[in-house]
Amino acid sequence: MTRFVENSIVFPYKRSLGPVIGAFMTGLTEQRILGIRSGDQVIVPPLEWDPQTGAELDPDGMVEVGPAGTVESWTWVPAPSEQHPLGHPFAFAFIRLDGASTPLLHAVDTGAPDALRVGARVAPRWRGSRVGHIGDIIAFVPGEQPEVDGPDSGPAEAPVTMMDYNASITYRNPVPPVLDRLREASRDQRIIGQRCPVCERVYSGGRGYCPIDAVELGEEQDVDLPHTGTITNFTIVTPVQYPGQTETEPFARVFVLLDGTDVILPYQPVVELPVGEVRVGKRVAAAWAPPNDDIDDAGAMGGAYGHLIGWIPSGEPDVEDPDLVNRIF
Amino acid sequence: MGAERTAVIGVGQTRHVSARHDVSIAGLVREAAQEALDDAGLDWGDIDAVVIGKAPDMFEGVVMPELYLADALGASGKPMIRVHTAGSVGGSTAIVAAKLVMAGIHERVLTVAFEKQSESNATWGLSVAMPFQAPLVAGAGGYFAPIIRAYIRRSGAPDYIGHLVSVKDRLNALRNPKAQLHLPDIDLKTVQESMLLWAPLRLLDVCPSSDGAMAMVIGSEQAAAAAPGPVAWIHGTAMRSEPTMFAGRDQVNPQAGKDCAADVYAQAGITNPREDFDCAEVYVPFSWYEPMWLENLGFCPEGDGWKLTEAGATAFDGDIPWNPSGGVLSSNPIGASGMIRFGEVAQQVRERAGDFQVPLKTGKALGHAYGGGSQFFSMWVVGNTKPES
Repeated sequence: MTRFVENSIVFPYKRSLGPVIGAFMTGLTEQRILGIRSGDQVIVPPLEWDPQTGAELDPDGMVEVGPAGTVESWTWVPAPSEQHPLGHPFAFAFIRLDGASTPLLHAVDTGAPDALRVGARVAPRWRGSRVGHIGDIIAFVPGEQPEVDGPDSGPAEAPVTMMDYNASITYRNPVPPVLDRLREASRDQRIIGQRCPVCERVYSGGRGYCPIDAVELGEEQDVDLPHTGTITNFTIVTPVQYPGQTETEPFARVFVLLDGTDVILPYQPVVELPVGEVRVGKRVAAAWAPPNDDIDDAGAMGGAYGHLIGWIPSGEPDVEDPDLVNRIF
Repeated sequence: MGAERTAVIGVGQTRHVSARHDVSIAGLVREAAQEALDDAGLDWGDIDAVVIGKAPDMFEGVVMPELYLADALGASGKPMIRVHTAGSVGGSTAIVAAKLVMAGIHERVLTVAFEKQSESNATWGLSVAMPFQAPLVAGAGGYFAPIIRAYIRRSGAPDYIGHLVSVKDRLNALRNPKAQLHLPDIDLKTVQESMLLWAPLRLLDVCPSSDGAMAMVIGSEQAAAAAPGPVAWIHGTAMRSEPTMFAGRDQVNPQAGKDCAADVYAQAGITNPREDFDCAEVYVPFSWYEPMWLENLGFCPEGDGWKLTEAGATAFDGDIPWNPSGGVLSSNPIGASGMIRFGEVAQQVRERAGDFQVPLKTGKALGHAYGGGSQFFSMWVVGNTKPES
């Protein structure tokens, strides 16, 4: 049965809003919904350019619309996910606010779908604490009168110019069988490679195929690789700080040419080898985590080396070979 | 090849800075596009199609720029295409736009590339843990540093060669009001004393992080005849790619780069690039890539690139100026950087480069971009005379 691992990508992006969207967001903190004039139309939410002609629209032509409006179309969301604006069933609707020429897409909270129809009148339910985000309107609710949810903390102190955009995606990957074999073998302090039956090249890292001969490599192609090698090249990274960065001090990643083979293990961590002593030609040996240590799926996710945690100086003299440095792959 | 004669008829770009908090991404892109239209004497309605490029999606978290930016770029009712080839995207985007005209499909195509690095962190974008891959955790500098080390050992270049490029390109940038870095006091010592980021690369050997956009209007022979100013004729375009990693790959002098150059030179009748070009704008995000690409692009025999740099051949007053605009080392809105190279050489042959205009002798110049792990290459040759066919 196929095993799956989960991977998440998360990053707090920023958005600079510009004069038009910035004014719209600032308006939301004041419980005002702004559109922008384009000829005899009022576009809501406002755009910086006319969507038909591409003409620049004048931020001075922004006008307040609503607060109430009419539902023009809707769809029911019976089972909201975490990313939906409401935690209970609701409608997404096109709402033409009074004075607007175009509909605004937002949530309508009616409790049940039979309480909603095209032509229904709705008004915003404002969040008490507003930051300049479309979510400052929790949802639209039936009626003509806007509401405020909880104590009103008032408008933003300064015009809103930036917005946080916390993007995240989580997805599941099937783990190729070869990676599980490599990971299991690493518990027994074995490094498994695979030999192509056509060209006889040996590959590390559980690629599962020969990219030159386009041949799939199965268990019968597994070979044990040596535990000693030579650093052919390296990179010393001075970490750049960003959300999620765990490194704070310069660290090394080395390329290791395994003895008696043509196999390079790329971007390997080092153990008990200070950054200043990393050099081309240095002799190293595999360093292992204790077999009972629980290496999480980061092993499979992050390179399939499992219990192989890095490379430690072996104490042998350096290898002097001018061609070594060219071996990055 | 039976292609229609095609020219750059308008060029526009933003001033490149570390953070443009006053505009949206759409506003940034629009600024460059409007300048290119003004330069070509055109309005939004005169454009037949839009071709847009940006760097990898995670760099800004904008996954569908062609959707988001259609109204900002006046694309309603027109074809809009997005191109995606990592760091070389600015170049390949311009080439896709040019081909729509060469093929006789459109008369006037707007092409735009951009990056707003201040909204994210490109090093994070390059370091995301991907399933079943050894994590890079190193950013672009950490990736390229070992390749640079291999070049230095292979060529026997002295260790200060990269720093010379860092100084030269920043001094060139002083002539370019749109460049991000203006470092009037830079010298060899300042570079050598800057922080070591990824040995052997120091802070000042590395490109900055920029917000900026570049745009061009590409037109047919007829559109070029109607243009208010001089145009840059496109004499050749080429793209090549190769896998990032395979056993035995030469990353110092990639085959795809050599093949791409040979192709574009053959189209443009270039037999000796050092003599046949008046200048080149080449993608040099890390200083050592100047001598490396001098060799890869055939400006000298393999192993001699650093000698040209050291002799000052590539300086503003050298016999073959490289990156008179200040180059990627002075402004790097990643997605736009390739198109800036392509656009700056168009400006040179139009004699519109202002204070960094080089003297025209042959009237031809090379624009170059590369991306990924040196796996995507795009190049074009522009000239001030109409190509023969």
